[in-house]
Amino acid sequence: MATTRTSNEMQVPARTTSRRGFAWHRLIEGATPYLLIAPLIFLISVFVYWPLFYSTYLSFFDWNFVRPDKAFVGWDNYTRLLDDPRFARALHGTWIYFVALIPIQVFLPLGLAMLLWPIRRAKSQASYRIMLFSPTVIAWSVGAVMWLWIFNPLQGLLNKLLAEFGVERINWLSDRDTAIWTVIVVAAWKTLGFHLILYLAALEAVPHDYVEAAALDGANNWQIMWTIRFPLITPTFFFVLVTTVISVNEDVFGAINVLTQGGPFGSTTNIVYYLYEQGFQYFQIGAASAVSVILFLATVLLTWVQFRFVERHVHYG
Amino acid sequence: MSKMTRRKFASTAAATGAAVAAGSAAASAASSRFAAPAVIRAQDAPVEVVFYNIWGTPPGGEEPETKHPVDQVIDAFNEQSTDVKVLGQNPAGGYFEVLQKAQADLAAGNPPALVITPWSNIFYAYEGLGAVPLEEVAGDEFDATFGNLKEQVLPLVQVDGHTIGLPYAFSCPVIYYNNDIIGEAGVDPETMFSTWTSFLEQGPAVQEAVDGNPVIGFGTNLDWPAQSIIQSNDGFVLNDALEPVMNSPESIAAMQMIADFDSAGLYDRSTTSETRASFLAGSIPCWVGSIASLGGLRNNATFDLQTSTFPTFGDKARRMSSGGSFIGMYAREEEQQQAAWEFLKFALSEEGYALWMQTGYLNASTWDLPTLEGQEAAYTQLDEGLSRESAWPTGRGGELQIIWGEYVARIWANDISAEDGCNEAVEEVNAIIESQG
Repeated sequence: MATTRTSNEMQVPARTTSRRGFAWHRLIEGATPYLLIAPLIFLISVFVYWPLFYSTYLSFFDWNFVRPDKAFVGWDNYTRLLDDPRFARALHGTWIYFVALIPIQVFLPLGLAMLLWPIRRAKSQASYRIMLFSPTVIAWSVGAVMWLWIFNPLQGLLNKLLAEFGVERINWLSDRDTAIWTVIVVAAWKTLGFHLILYLAALEAVPHDYVEAAALDGANNWQIMWTIRFPLITPTFFFVLVTTVISVNEDVFGAINVLTQGGPFGSTTNIVYYLYEQGFQYFQIGAASAVSVILFLATVLLTWVQFRFVERHVHYG
Repeated sequence: MSKMTRRKFASTAAATGAAVAAGSAAASAASSRFAAPAVIRAQDAPVEVVFYNIWGTPPGGEEPETKHPVDQVIDAFNEQSTDVKVLGQNPAGGYFEVLQKAQADLAAGNPPALVITPWSNIFYAYEGLGAVPLEEVAGDEFDATFGNLKEQVLPLVQVDGHTIGLPYAFSCPVIYYNNDIIGEAGVDPETMFSTWTSFLEQGPAVQEAVDGNPVIGFGTNLDWPAQSIIQSNDGFVLNDALEPVMNSPESIAAMQMIADFDSAGLYDRSTTSETRASFLAGSIPCWVGSIASLGGLRNNATFDLQTSTFPTFGDKARRMSSGGSFIGMYAREEEQQQAAWEFLKFALSEEGYALWMQTGYLNASTWDLPTLEGQEAAYTQLDEGLSRESAWPTGRGGELQIIWGEYVARIWANDISAEDGCNEAVEEVNAIIESQG
């Protein structure tokens, strides 16, 4: 009896503990995802969503953070952009950078990766990887000095080389016809290596079985590349495409800033550099905020278009 | 495990975001107040004041063996002051970056007491950033202290009758030239640089000595020398009412002169950093820059470096503009303001100013201090009278300066005619001024 009683006495609290433990377990289990994601949500909220919200708010004011008078100006900061020829020029520059740099940053490294893939086991592979990737890690300030010496019209390397072929002096950075292309070359040089490494890593991850099976079926290298390898690296391709579209304006900012500061005559500026000038050189916080809102909306739209129309061609395996 | 639905996720994220946003908003509201929070310090500790400038060693930079004169001034002050300690800081890069940092600190309620401020931003400093009129801080000491400035210098830092800074980095543009090349060309520099016309006439002879390269490059923001060139032909960029008037016949003719240099292949269209490199490499014989560049050029030039005053337009008087920066006071607390004033007094004392004069900037004081070899041209221009660098009106003054600078570049490179360029500039600048009420 005693044993039974003891057993019963012990069983009752044991059942209670189990129920409570189960509730705790359910609670912890339910809360775990939120707890795990909370730090990220916090950081994103502080550094992304809050600035975004606050920029939108500031775009309706004429204020510099310091003056006590913060004047509500409605849509003035937006309508003013429509009247500003420099904003139109910045949009034009943005379009040229998009058209020129997206293929260079997305397709050129893809082509290079496919060319370099067959020699991935060669002894020279470390050299070419370092050679192609090093611009990505070189600081803009350091790279700029090199490029400024290359493009210097009077004693620069490029003009000296061209002079050997009878080409007359070109003002690479101060001629409006050449400056933007010079900036594009330098921006491409800086970002090419990173995407190349991503593509090479993706190619490395393609299962060898598929390739072997295709080879047994008589597929040649070209067919294997385009029908096996490329479809299997489309997730990486899509990632590179989306991130390039988002970041191309910022990628080119460094090149503009160190080489031309938007000149000559504003011919190399883009929307991000225009935003920088408004906010940090002219201290026009409202106008800069309006530009940032427009830029954000355009980026969201472009990203949506890519997910809507390009993602369907991606093979996630 | 409970299922994470989109709704659950969204509501949690929104709640977190809202909380963070609310918290940040409160923090922001607190930080956007004009006054600085009280500084907590020990009662007998010296008052520390921050002085943002562009010359000290930037963050992460290596201290040079010989400190920059501005740091020498600060060290000398700190050695003899027991009540005040000045912390000289170069927060980042050039004038604009320093002003950005100051603005951010002001917005955060943590104003730097003193900030080196470009002359062209004088109105923004006063109206936009609340630079403190020094008369209000100095009281009776103001006249005695500023009496140590040359008479013509004080008006350069005054807005609406208020003195809003100590003229410090005081400069003007001069022509630097490579005397070896000029000598090789068989040209007398004094004759060549006497008038713009004689420069244009003798330029081709010098050009031959540099294998057909351009003869003159500009190494500063172009609107600055353009102002001096226009004024020397009896024109103006802005009138006394701060309206743009650079489309007068005199101004247009002055602008056309440099465009004529370009037509003759004598003007170097390269960027400012490129022209400097070309000059030091001996590829171009003449370079327009601030007199403050003298030390740097002398250290790097491997040729006989000389300076000249700007040419004139015939018999007309040369009217150069000053440039550089002043030390503006942005401290909001009285204790900070008084401590900063103590440093300004020292900076303008004979001891402090003598240390500063090692830089190559012009002597704006009445102290009889030695000049550097090569500064003679700049002092000649100073004695002739320097006007203030164009201080562009309204809160969009910085933008107006860039707009005009862009037109100058286009006119000089014959991308637009002088007449059209000047007229369009006036139109564009006026439209912005009017939009600002």
